[in-house]
Amino acid sequence: MKKKLLIIGAFIVMSPLLYSFCGFYISKADGTLKNKTSQVILIRDGNKSVITMYNDFKGDTKDFAMVVPVPVVLRKDDIKVVDQSIFQKLNDYSAPRLVEYWDENPCYEYSMMRSKSENKQNAPLSDKLAGKVAGARASVKIEAQYIVGEYDILILSAKESTGLKTWLNQNGYKIPANAEEVLDPYIKSNLKFFVVKVNEKEKQKLNSNFLRPIQIKFNSPKFMLPIRLGMANADGDQDLIVYAFTRKGRIESTNYRNVNIVSNKNIPLFVQKNFSAFYGNLFTTQWNKENKSVAFLEYAWNVTPVNPMKCDPCVGNPPTEQDLAQSGVWWLGNKDWNDYSDVDEEEYDNGTRNVHFTRLHFRYNRNSFPQDLIFQVTPNTENYQARYIITHPASGDFNCAAGKKYLQDLRARRKKELMELTYLTGTNINNWQEEAIAKNDEEINSSVQYATLLPQVKDEMENKESMPAGLVLIGMGMLGCAGLLRWKGMI
Amino acid sequence: MFSKKIFRDARYFQIIFQSIFLCYGIYFLQWQNEYWLYATYFIGCLGTQFLGEWFLGKKQTPFLKRYKAGIPSALISAFGLSLLLKTNDPGVAIFAAIVTIVSKYLLRFNGKHIFNPSALGIVIAIVLTGNAWISPGQWGSNTVMLFGVMSLGFIVTTRVQKLDVSIAFLGVFAGLLFIRQIIYLGWPMDHFVQSVSTGSLLIFSFFMITDPKTIPNHTTARIIWSTAIAAVAFYLTAFEFINGAPVYVLVLAQPLVPLLDKFFKAKKFEWAPSTNYTLQEKEFLQNIYSRSSI
Repeated sequence: MKKKLLIIGAFIVMSPLLYSFCGFYISKADGTLKNKTSQVILIRDGNKSVITMYNDFKGDTKDFAMVVPVPVVLRKDDIKVVDQSIFQKLNDYSAPRLVEYWDENPCYEYSMMRSKSENKQNAPLSDKLAGKVAGARASVKIEAQYIVGEYDILILSAKESTGLKTWLNQNGYKIPANAEEVLDPYIKSNLKFFVVKVNEKEKQKLNSNFLRPIQIKFNSPKFMLPIRLGMANADGDQDLIVYAFTRKGRIESTNYRNVNIVSNKNIPLFVQKNFSAFYGNLFTTQWNKENKSVAFLEYAWNVTPVNPMKCDPCVGNPPTEQDLAQSGVWWLGNKDWNDYSDVDEEEYDNGTRNVHFTRLHFRYNRNSFPQDLIFQVTPNTENYQARYIITHPASGDFNCAAGKKYLQDLRARRKKELMELTYLTGTNINNWQEEAIAKNDEEINSSVQYATLLPQVKDEMENKESMPAGLVLIGMGMLGCAGLLRWKGMI
Repeated sequence: MFSKKIFRDARYFQIIFQSIFLCYGIYFLQWQNEYWLYATYFIGCLGTQFLGEWFLGKKQTPFLKRYKAGIPSALISAFGLSLLLKTNDPGVAIFAAIVTIVSKYLLRFNGKHIFNPSALGIVIAIVLTGNAWISPGQWGSNTVMLFGVMSLGFIVTTRVQKLDVSIAFLGVFAGLLFIRQIIYLGWPMDHFVQSVSTGSLLIFSFFMITDPKTIPNHTTARIIWSTAIAAVAFYLTAFEFINGAPVYVLVLAQPLVPLLDKFFKAKKFEWAPSTNYTLQEKEFLQNIYSRSSI
């Protein structure tokens, strides 16, 4: 059956979108801070890193404070604020996508054009943070102090965690009681602490309510994101989206398993109405299935400015050279963000202008993620995208032989789509009854409608058996045989 | 008699265990989109073995017999590559397979291989082509029990006297990590468990570093050697943040083996388990283990 790709519906899938990134927010007032999904842009080449942290703090900016462990004392040049919109652009461009196809009626030539609107979901807010105070003698050194944009920034080094904790408390920050568990290892690993508050004076000059993302850059062989500190003030699961740019290829986690999120699946037409919920369910199901301690790859593409095909299909505009420079990609030769005094000239000459984009999605909690995220840049340049397909049936009458065949195929295909849907989202098939019936307004033979097919699929699925258990049995059997032979003295 | 032969040869066990690991990866850890890579490694290894035996093999034995005898070792190398080395480029995969197998024919000293074949193939492919990588994260950390038990099972079942290498390496490496992470830095226990429960580390310590053709002959020398590898690998992992450090260190430490063999005189590695053999069986074992490859 000929299919035509006509239009692409882009959907933004940011399940509850909030929360701290690498560090933790510390409240100056005992208030409720909410955050659940954080976003980070990582740029890495050689030993150089640029990290941009999305700031979606909601509340009185006087209460905002943040601590991020960093490997070196940052200079003022190493810190800047960037435009918030870059995150939205990157998200739009790389988010899991729904693509639409239309069948052609085999009985006559017919095609139609339609357009789709974008669907964005606002995220619910949740989660609490409670700060507690503990006291001890302080042994904290302020390594540097800057005002950058609307922020007051301190770089601290500490000898021991109680001292750091005390210092923060004495200076009006309230930090989570269990932060000490991670502060100590960080201090002993010789990390510095990047402490951020809002400078109200500067803030007022800006005349805007948003806190802009902070971008830092440094040289260090460590390629990691310190998520452990962020767990100190969050109970429950937190989502983290990492947008990474490298010169060589994809990044991957070295201490957690990398899994490509399931992609290129045909799903029923009615999912279109609520693609965000579909993907949210799918992600949760896959996350549970893969035992939680995983890095999900949602997107990987070569976004080099000269590369003509930056997505297939595109759901958002690919990042432009300015966007990349804004994100911190320094090797494009953009003069604006070219003030790396530590970058040797030689590297500029040899370096290519390649930019590879990776989008990783983590959902972490204290139990599943005992370690900070450690990454490596791999030479893997393969493209990847999380892509789900819906197909509109042809319309008209199907009185010719090919038409009858088409209906038969359509029935089989839709059954498969329903099965795929329940499998991917881990939901019971009955949950989709409502949507399936709602879709009944299609002008098509009732025998191919989802509502009609649903009970049949249900019956079929109940008769299905699970396969992987068989493999475990084979393995056990082999071991058993070997043991037996050994015991019998045959080997 | 045939089954006896099969099971006397530890290499068959190694093949069985490695194939279980590979199946596990494919079915449970989602490596399914890399079939072509595994196929390339196997074809590359078996093909190179064929050519190697044709041009470089010992001519006194009939070719087919020699080639047949070398198949298990080529398979083991192919499994070693499949389990550890990733690439997107079929050319790189073939190159790695060729380096692995050819090193067994060309880089020899005193009847032993100078380099561990798969380790050399992996390191050369990564360093020279720049288009291959080790993916320590591919195993996840939920599989540690399975791996630990199976690897130990493998060694106990085959009763090959190389457990000392595995134990010394793992013990020192994990011990140093423990001291660093738990005692010095003060991370909680699960932080450390996560570090040592990666499948790549276990595969390395039970199936790669143990290759009897590339380790010192004397027990003391073996322990000194693997301890040194563990210590250097620990340093590179913990302080220089190098991924897959053990494999690199193993390759670098390989030229020390002839030196250690010189200082610690010992009988050449003897595979004979405790049971008594008939003359025929001894000949068979001799034949297997003195072959050009493991």
